[in-house]
Amino acid sequence: MKNNIKSGEIFIWFTGMGLAVSLIMISGLLLLILLNGKDYFWPFQLNEIRLNDGRKVLGEVVKEELIPIHNLPDSLKNKGLKRTQLKIGNRDIYGFDFQWIDERNIESINYPSDAVRIERTEFGNFYGFIKELQIDDKIIKPDNPDFFDKVKQSVDKISSYRNEIKKIEKSDIGEVNYNIEKLRLEIKKIEYKHKKNEKSQKLIADLERSIETENEKYDALKHKVDSIREKANSYSIYCEDISGRPKTISLLNVIRFYKPNEMNFSDKIGFMFTKIIEFIFDEPRESNTEGGVFPAIFGTVMMVLIMSLFTVPFGVLAALYLREYAKQGTLVRLVRIAVNNLAGVPSIVFGVFGLGFFIYFIGGTIDNIFYPERLPSPTWGTGGILWASLTLSLLTMPVVIVATEEALTQIPRGMREAALALGATKWQVTRRIIIPAAMPGILTGLILAMARAAGEVAPLMITGVVKLAPTLPFDSYFPFFHLDRKFMHLGFHIYDVGFQSPNIEAALPMVFTTTLLLIIIVVLLNITAMIIRARLRKKYKTSAF
Amino acid sequence: MNKQHRKSLFYDKLSRVVIYFGGIATIISVIAILIFIFSEALPLWFGADSEKSLEINYDDFSKSNVPILIGIDEYKEIIYAVTDSGRIDFLNLEQDSIIKSISLEQIKSEKVTAFSKTLANNFIALGTDKGKAVLFQIDFKSEFMENGLRTINPVFRFIDLIQLDSLENSISHISFRLKDSESYTVIAVNSDNNLLQYSYNKKSDFTGEEQVKIFRSRLDQFIDTKITSVELDNFCEKLMVGTSDGQLLYLSIKDEDNPQLIQTIKPFGDEQAAITKLGFVIGDQSVIVANSNGKLASYMRILDEKTDYGWKLVNPHTFKSHNNSINSFSASSRNKTFITGDVKGYSYLHHLTSERTLLEFVGDSAGIKDISYAPKGDAVVLLYNNSRIALFEIDNPHPETSFKTLFGKVWYEGYSQPAFVWQSTGGTDDFEPKFSLIPLIIGTLKGTLYAMLFAIPLALMGALYTSQFSHPSIKNVIKPTVEIMAALPSVVIGFIAGLWLAPLLEKIFVGVMLIFIIVPIMIYIGLQLWNKLPTKILAKLKAGTELIFIIFLIIIGFFISQWLGPIVEIYLLGGDYRIWISEFFNQQYDQRNSIVVGFAMGFAVIPIIFTICEDALSSVPSSLTSASLALGATKWQTATRIVLPTASPGIFSAVMIGFGRAVGETMIVLMATGNTPILSFSPFNGMRTLSANIAVEIPEAPYGGTLYRVLFLAATLLFIFTFIINTVAEIVRQRLRKKYAEL
Repeated sequence: MKNNIKSGEIFIWFTGMGLAVSLIMISGLLLLILLNGKDYFWPFQLNEIRLNDGRKVLGEVVKEELIPIHNLPDSLKNKGLKRTQLKIGNRDIYGFDFQWIDERNIESINYPSDAVRIERTEFGNFYGFIKELQIDDKIIKPDNPDFFDKVKQSVDKISSYRNEIKKIEKSDIGEVNYNIEKLRLEIKKIEYKHKKNEKSQKLIADLERSIETENEKYDALKHKVDSIREKANSYSIYCEDISGRPKTISLLNVIRFYKPNEMNFSDKIGFMFTKIIEFIFDEPRESNTEGGVFPAIFGTVMMVLIMSLFTVPFGVLAALYLREYAKQGTLVRLVRIAVNNLAGVPSIVFGVFGLGFFIYFIGGTIDNIFYPERLPSPTWGTGGILWASLTLSLLTMPVVIVATEEALTQIPRGMREAALALGATKWQVTRRIIIPAAMPGILTGLILAMARAAGEVAPLMITGVVKLAPTLPFDSYFPFFHLDRKFMHLGFHIYDVGFQSPNIEAALPMVFTTTLLLIIIVVLLNITAMIIRARLRKKYKTSAF
Repeated sequence: MNKQHRKSLFYDKLSRVVIYFGGIATIISVIAILIFIFSEALPLWFGADSEKSLEINYDDFSKSNVPILIGIDEYKEIIYAVTDSGRIDFLNLEQDSIIKSISLEQIKSEKVTAFSKTLANNFIALGTDKGKAVLFQIDFKSEFMENGLRTINPVFRFIDLIQLDSLENSISHISFRLKDSESYTVIAVNSDNNLLQYSYNKKSDFTGEEQVKIFRSRLDQFIDTKITSVELDNFCEKLMVGTSDGQLLYLSIKDEDNPQLIQTIKPFGDEQAAITKLGFVIGDQSVIVANSNGKLASYMRILDEKTDYGWKLVNPHTFKSHNNSINSFSASSRNKTFITGDVKGYSYLHHLTSERTLLEFVGDSAGIKDISYAPKGDAVVLLYNNSRIALFEIDNPHPETSFKTLFGKVWYEGYSQPAFVWQSTGGTDDFEPKFSLIPLIIGTLKGTLYAMLFAIPLALMGALYTSQFSHPSIKNVIKPTVEIMAALPSVVIGFIAGLWLAPLLEKIFVGVMLIFIIVPIMIYIGLQLWNKLPTKILAKLKAGTELIFIIFLIIIGFFISQWLGPIVEIYLLGGDYRIWISEFFNQQYDQRNSIVVGFAMGFAVIPIIFTICEDALSSVPSSLTSASLALGATKWQTATRIVLPTASPGIFSAVMIGFGRAVGETMIVLMATGNTPILSFSPFNGMRTLSANIAVEIPEAPYGGTLYRVLFLAATLLFIFTFIINTVAEIVRQRLRKKYAEL
């Protein structure tokens, strides 16, 4: 023992412990997110639990844990008693989605093969049994041999109706609303610019007539939607929950249904893929706790791209200036330190700057000059994707500057001198030799900046991210990119759904899955940057000058 | 020169201009961030501005009448003046003429000797030389014409005429307050030094029938010196009386039949000067006391169980003194500012809580008779003895902030002692925002402290192991892993900490604490076993196997701790660790507490410290380490005696940079703590940090308001703090590099 202490080997092991703990934490975290994140897609078995008091519960197991000892009488402490949390769904019937079941109260567990899980557009999932399919007045019972096929066909049919309704509401009615809004603003503009005279009155009357026609269009579309909805509403299923409580669900509210207990492994894998596709390409439902995250992915990507448009040119210019053009001296050294240190300035400070400078100062000025008729409701003087991107481009600028500078210093002097000796101008050297050689470095900086921007939330929260944006910042209306619009963001989605939603427990799988997606994006970007950097280093190691 | 040549020279010049310009502009704009943020916070320290927009002589409009009371409407268009003969004149400032005049017939041929005016809504009482009081209200109705113009019409509403004193003694002081629209109280002092009370109560009983109750009383039994001022609060409960020998009496008339003298104090110590003016500021908690020497202080009551009635008066604030006797007072109905005037014509604008004197209106020879604060708080009207009226427009955006209110202990209304409080919004109109940055700074330091306690040892140990004791091939695995760790978005860490770790830790707290004991023991045992392994096997093992073995030991240690946790809890901590904590430390265990933040933020900081430390440690010149090893030192001796001291500046800068990151971390704190701004370093409760506070409050802060600017100030602090820390770290690091190069 003394030997160990004297030789210090035990201390070496302790330092190893420090490293090991860090490694365990990071891999544990990634594993935790991976395991929990996939749960959102997986069709878990439905357990029918018969309790001692004769009641029955149907649901999927969420987690199992030891009963906290302070909830137990002394005699049972430390016996390792477990409890199970069951997601029982049927929020419209029970009022809650989850139930804890004490292991002592369980009599038996079955897996009824005809138990279904119905994903609905409201009130979360339904767990129970389908007893009838009602089409108009026709009733089909489960004893019909292809009962479930029929239900499935009907669900598919009504799904197409629902998509049609959604399409009309989104694109057609959306267009009408867009036009009306445009006309209304035009009227406001005329009213603002010219005081009342005959000419402007006439113009306004014309515009009001156009609004009238748009309103008629709207009514017609509304009527169309109503008729489709009526048609769809004649399809419904009659279900019962585990204790036989009836529930009739209109197929318009059914997104899909399936019998997880009948599925085999490959079915489940297939199902998982459909869910993954839904998650990536669909819009959120039920205040973001169900459905997909497409708008958030779109918003994140678009924000990052706009940010890159600003960060890269200016960051590279600054780095070129600092390394190639400026006279190296104390001042440049100080500037370099200052720029480096900006990377350590808290991101919320940048957010505050974005709010004060971009939104209130620049946005407010734009509103006063170009859109005075819309005031006091702001157009640019409120959070939007452009302001958020600009804020983040300031935040990530140091990353690009530092990475580019690093690449510039690694370019051997000989390359520059050879080119200059051949009579090239400085710009020619910069353009033909230095920038291409530094390209991987610039790219590394860009990728790191993108990864940082994708994961950053605090500054975005105050410069334009919202929990649910009604429209994407890109659509088919001129000028296609609407940079003044608010947008959704994956990181903020995690914060919002995890901490602001009313039913956090039900939202948890969604949060884990979004987290998984965000981590995959960020980690992939970082790994790409690492690989490029490693290659860059190797290249200059081997090229002997 | 050929064309081609010229072209390249032109491009060379052009590019030079573009790069110079673009580069410098980028750098300047990045650095200008600090200047902008600071400039947004700067107006907090600007005082108020005032501009005399009007000065008139009342005699020009209405000769032979002496105005004694003055007021103004919300839009600053109409000034009203009440004369000593009981006449009310409405003066339209735009038309420059009297648009309406009312003579109070009720007190015809009497002289007005005292008056009282409420803080809002212009409820006025006039006391006469025949012992009468007339109560009325002056209201302003604005109408919008079809052409978009606005006209304001004064409305006179008579309330009551009371014969206060049956002996028809002259009224020398009066105070009239309304509890609600149906009940009010008038307090008056007559020339015989009697203190008279008149209360009017209208109540509807359950049948809907209205009942009027009038209550008259005399309160002289409490006072034996001459009364020089009285003031009643808006709840018609607290009655303040000032006397000629400098005493302040606090009477409670809440119970009409049983008035009580709660306390008599000498507000200015032994000074015998008469209390000449009393006035409540908005909220009716603080009374401003002024005496004939020009001294000015505020008093409020606090709970004190030692006194007879449970209340006592305290003096939280004093203000800049006048040189002359103070005789007039008006309080803002928007915030806690008030204005006082003296007999030589000086008037000062003060803010209660910050004790700042924001404006000084220098008088001329004529003394001030009455002051009126405009309803929106954007102007004051002064009435001088020589019947001159002056209107001052005021721009007073941030009266409540001073260095002391932001960083010092402040005695707020409703608090029993001065305190550091952050509370930016409240439920009621007269709520006073409290902007002490101290709880937030303490919270920031607290979060950082716990994070560093967790992160520094782990990161340092890890870096030491990686750089000194591990095989290079392991380095190639560890470095990218740590880089991934650094890249994890803080929202992810915060989410895991808040929704997964915090509830879990609450369940297995004891087990987790045991890890710190069990795991080192396991490592020790593990080492003994490892050394028992035959050398043959050891030689065959691949590099890094011991690290895997250590990981395995830690995991086993974790499970042993979890198994031991409940046992320890039952047999040593009495069954429930939370009760044990509350008994032993006198602390409440919150689910989202500093330990959770320490783990989470530590997790975020570890990779930063690790990377810089590892860099500094592994670039210690090998000549040093080789020499040490050659002299027979062990690996551990070399590491601690040679490598660590040489690289210590690098470790210092690593810790500094980690510190800077933890200080500014927002999302983790936002998600993993309860965000309550408290002053406590207890690990079992949460905190609110500067950065999380900005994130929480700035979406609700109106542009240009005080909260908005205070948050910008918080951002400036964060910026400067992290910038300095990082600069120091960077300079230290550069010096170290230089040193290595020389070695």
